[in-house]
Amino acid sequence: MPGRTKTRDDAPEEVDTSMDDAPTSAQQPAEEENGDAMQEDEEEGEEDPFEEEEEPQRVRILPGSSETAASFEFLKEGHTLGNALRYIIMKNPDVEFCAYAIPHPSEDKMNLRIQTYDTTTAAAALAKGLQDLEDLCDVVADEFWTQREKFEATPEQVRKRQEEAERRQAAQAS
Amino acid sequence: MMEYDNMMDSDFKEDFGPKIQVSAADRYHVDFELSNVDISLANSLRRVMHAEVPTIAIDLVEIEVNTSVLADEFISHRLGLIPLNSSEIDNLSYSRDCDCEQNCERCSVTLTLHAKCTGDEVMKVYARDLVVGFNRPNSEIGNPVITDPDGLGSLICKLRKGQELKLSCIAKKGIAKEHAKWSPTSAIGFEYDPHNKLHHLDLWYEQDAEAEWPKSKYADVEEPPAEGQPFDYDAVPSRFYFEVEGIGNIQSDAIILEGVKELQRKLAGLIHGLGESEGMNGEYDGPRSPDGMDTGAGYLEQGYSTPYGNPGAASAWGGGATAYGTTPYGNSGSNGWS
Repeated sequence: MPGRTKTRDDAPEEVDTSMDDAPTSAQQPAEEENGDAMQEDEEEGEEDPFEEEEEPQRVRILPGSSETAASFEFLKEGHTLGNALRYIIMKNPDVEFCAYAIPHPSEDKMNLRIQTYDTTTAAAALAKGLQDLEDLCDVVADEFWTQREKFEATPEQVRKRQEEAERRQAAQAS
Repeated sequence: MMEYDNMMDSDFKEDFGPKIQVSAADRYHVDFELSNVDISLANSLRRVMHAEVPTIAIDLVEIEVNTSVLADEFISHRLGLIPLNSSEIDNLSYSRDCDCEQNCERCSVTLTLHAKCTGDEVMKVYARDLVVGFNRPNSEIGNPVITDPDGLGSLICKLRKGQELKLSCIAKKGIAKEHAKWSPTSAIGFEYDPHNKLHHLDLWYEQDAEAEWPKSKYADVEEPPAEGQPFDYDAVPSRFYFEVEGIGNIQSDAIILEGVKELQRKLAGLIHGLGESEGMNGEYDGPRSPDGMDTGAGYLEQGYSTPYGNPGAASAWGGGATAYGTTPYGNSGSNGWS
């Protein structure tokens, strides 16, 4: 605070603010903004403990989000998912902007910002991104498997494998 | 939307879809080139193969007798690092997810070891001396990986005359993110742009980087930059050279497939989680003002407040009763930064 000249004692008692009074940023703490929705979820989980172990909500929307511009907070995710997801969401032509960040290395959290055009919503873009990435993974896995099988079939590889097996046998015999 | 789908289905898949070319493969190695994908996906694949493909490794050791020269924890650590066969690991559940109290045959494999040196020569205790318990999901899982021609496996410790080692181990499923002993790979080579056309590397040199740095083995696969060619600012890497090196607990090609699967499992988990919350509360609670920067209180007292936060009274911006309005610094009403 460069302009600060008064000491704390100068300020009238009732006007003094403590750290707890002032929000740390313009955004409200999450519990107040849209916490209700998430809390409902958790309560739901507590009510019937038999229905699957209460998996804590791993994605939430950060406060200050709107329909077409939202920030999502993922728990227990990192660059592995963040970067690939960012890429695939950005590929969606209805998405204006998408970026991810890991706000602090010692918190296991990943934030993803999505801003879309009016044609879709941020949440829909996220859902589509997840699905698209899964499909892309399918393609990669299929492609790998076909190529791997094909590679196996080349005579050169067969010969190499045989040689290796013979070497091993010879070593075992000696 | 439509355009996007079309692109994905036809052109995209045939002309630009991910391509793989395998250049070497055996039990322990797969070298392949992944092309026509973004670097982010290639790196995700590398990261997930490195740290998140589940395998099985010794996690708990109960030592009954240890009169060897090595400390208990030292031997336990060595046991943990022995690679164990992890075929069909999907049939084994994580101990933390299992219904059992501590561990059972559905989430662990037991191995025992009992060795005593009675002769005058130094006795060597190897991984092959571990006795794997029964009731396993399959007959392979948990077997120590033995690759040497003599069939010995890793050396655990040496015993002199009269020394004895008796212990039992519980091997559990885990991932390398938690401890490197669960890693399916010893190394993953990952490189792209062998000619450094993209300038992602800033090569150190004395006179000439070109002459002083050795060429990558993939240098002749890609076109070297033409003399005096200007830097292409729009270029992105698209060919990635992987060299996956397994350690025998999972087949090398299975590491890649498992890696992709693990990535998909992550995504499926999130899709599932999102779908669930969508059904219950519409994912995002109701319509709100487009800028969304109004305070929480603003949308709770519905029917009265404007999306821009009822002016004057209690909004964070309006000054007055909020903490912002009454800073001790005498600049009340403004934003607090003087």
